[in-house]
Amino acid sequence: MAASPFAVDALKQSAHAIGNGNNSSSSSTQRPLGAGPATLDLVEQMNEDEKKKYVKGKKLGEGTYANVYLGHARHDPSLLVAIKKIKVQKEYRDGMAPDAVRELTHLQELRHPNIISLLSAFSSKDQNLNLVLEFLPLGDLEMLIRDVDRVRYGAGDIKAWMGMLTRAVWFCHDNYVLHRDIKPNNLLIAADGEVKLADFGLARGFADPGQRMTANVITRWYRPPELLYGARHYSGAVDVWSVGTVFAELIIRTPYLPGDSDLDMVRLICRAIGTPTEDNWPGVTSLKEYTAAGDVHPVADKATYMNRFGSVGPEGVDLLMRTLILDPRKRITAREMLEHKWWRTDPRPTRKEDLPRKSGGGGEEKVAADLKRRPGVVDDDGKAKVARKLDFGGAIGGSK
Amino acid sequence: MSRKAISNARGPASGSTTSAALPGLSSDDMCPVCKTIRYLNKDMEFLIHPDCYHFMCSNCVNRIFNDGPNQCPYAGCHRTLRRKGFRSPFFGDLTVEREVDIRRRVAAVFNQHEEDFKTLRDYNNYLQMVEDLTFELVSGTEAQRRSAEAQLQHWEAEHKADIERNRKAGREADEASHRRIAAEREAARQRRIDAIKEAEEEKLERARTREAELDTLASAPEGQRAGGVQLKRRVQVNRAVEAAAAANTGSGVPGAGAQPPIITKLSIQGLKEKRKPPAPEGPYDPFGGMDFVPSRYKLHDGLVHPDVDKYRFDWAHATGGYSFDDYTARAMFEAFAGLGVFIEDEKEVGIGLSASEVAAMSAGIAAVGDKMELD
Repeated sequence: MAASPFAVDALKQSAHAIGNGNNSSSSSTQRPLGAGPATLDLVEQMNEDEKKKYVKGKKLGEGTYANVYLGHARHDPSLLVAIKKIKVQKEYRDGMAPDAVRELTHLQELRHPNIISLLSAFSSKDQNLNLVLEFLPLGDLEMLIRDVDRVRYGAGDIKAWMGMLTRAVWFCHDNYVLHRDIKPNNLLIAADGEVKLADFGLARGFADPGQRMTANVITRWYRPPELLYGARHYSGAVDVWSVGTVFAELIIRTPYLPGDSDLDMVRLICRAIGTPTEDNWPGVTSLKEYTAAGDVHPVADKATYMNRFGSVGPEGVDLLMRTLILDPRKRITAREMLEHKWWRTDPRPTRKEDLPRKSGGGGEEKVAADLKRRPGVVDDDGKAKVARKLDFGGAIGGSK
Repeated sequence: MSRKAISNARGPASGSTTSAALPGLSSDDMCPVCKTIRYLNKDMEFLIHPDCYHFMCSNCVNRIFNDGPNQCPYAGCHRTLRRKGFRSPFFGDLTVEREVDIRRRVAAVFNQHEEDFKTLRDYNNYLQMVEDLTFELVSGTEAQRRSAEAQLQHWEAEHKADIERNRKAGREADEASHRRIAAEREAARQRRIDAIKEAEEEKLERARTREAELDTLASAPEGQRAGGVQLKRRVQVNRAVEAAAAANTGSGVPGAGAQPPIITKLSIQGLKEKRKPPAPEGPYDPFGGMDFVPSRYKLHDGLVHPDVDKYRFDWAHATGGYSFDDYTARAMFEAFAGLGVFIEDEKEVGIGLSASEVAAMSAGIAAVGDKMELD
């Protein structure tokens, strides 16, 4: 039994149960008829075994969606882990929250140096789901971007970070997984400087033709125009747009398109990148939520980009422009990004050990904050949290 | 630099081994080769050659070796020496001279630092090894000396790059410490100048105050009031001086901060740091050494299937950027996924996968169908 006690199997069964509508019970309450009440059934036994492998330590953070604990492996106290305990949510009382299911299904299959690794999963009392993730102590990329005073970085560092991010996205796409929530918050930094893509709470597999996906994904600032226009059939191009906006943010050290509503987002994209029209994006006007705010702005040319993002050189700007092409069909793919010339031009990407990192701690708290956050939102102190629904009416009313 | 005449055992050294007792050197003595004495030649200078450490006067060196390499004139010493190698010894005792030379040479080769070692114990073992080797070179028997010499040369040849790098690092550290010392000295000088200036200003200030006091005393009608004024002034002046001092120390702090801080390397970097191999870096690989070209099948463009083709010209799919190539690639991948994977084998062999990972993989394969229902 000890040979394969991966409790995920058990949890997957319960996830499956939800999918089938058989949602009145979860796995650990399903006892085989023959088993007595005192003995644990096989699934429970596996779960116990898995749970015993880790020691839960101090709480790093608490959120409405999840609590994050520091922990370590029982057999090796130096092996630190982050245990993300997902709370039972009101809306999903009868089963697991979809975020948790998404995270579990995709993380357990993706193993890559630039993707956070899921070490284990088990359920604790009250049917709480615990995800055991590798512990990434150095905070996230957002922390480095925002700390303008104390953190300095150059073109080589940006290239190294972008390389790791693009590799992670490429790996997801080549394994037919859409991440759908790429942003600096979700790029955690390991002790050795490696950037790791985390938070697969909005991830899903590529859809079949004819299968509709929700357009209501990706944190707004990083959301591509096709999703803002309500497209229901999309591809990895949505993640590539996010990568492009993260790239721009790394360079200018402030969010590139910080729209405070979906309509504002469209307006910002029109102004900064160009208005989507039938010419540059055939068929765009047929999308459900298509709006073109105000005047038609021509698509920005390279000189415009060079003014703002010139520090990464003409090749870097070329790559950025290709990730921010309005028409998702023409947008560069993650694989093509990695084949781009920019990686081979000077300066060479900084080695991960030499990448700037933030001194003076704060990383742990930040990681905890990132892990406990509900997927798809940014923390916007003061302002209302980013809505998860398209709400053009309210946005117009609010901004005028 | 003074050459103390310690010695005695003069005359030609017996045998060719340099480990045998070497002749002493004395400044007012006789050259053992030409028997010239200092009385006859006031400027007589003794030179040695680090091959055999036999000393002779500079005249003899010129005479014997000017026409090219020649044998050492000492009886029984058959070493061939060159003019270029001769130098004047630093120590009066040539045994010491020789030992210092050997130590210098060994230290140049074994120039590892403590940071290079994983643990202090390793470092200590290394130091012990180096000391043993040095001792054998200095005062071992002929055989020991020879084997130690061979070891040394072997090590030097083997670790040329390492040695060179350490040497460079050492030089840089030296330069840094020189700079630091110079900066400190400069700062101290500045402080002294400031102190002198301050003292002068204080003196001036005192004189001014005194003058002012005298003025007030002269203009004041009553002695009692004058005393009060004096007191008040003094307090004012003192305050001004204090404020100035505070300002000075305040401005002094950033100056001190500008000096490079003294880094205590031992406590931080020392013991645990694992030495990084020099790792010649190849060209940057954006893919990180991975590739997912399917090995069991070949993807062709334009795979068609009636169920798919009805969506191919659907506007909603096209405008949203839906990729049919991705779909066909995924369909093929899923059709072939798991072929050639034998979980039982992997459990036994354990090809870099833990049992749980194998289980996860099998679960993943089984879950391909389920995944779609969830969202």
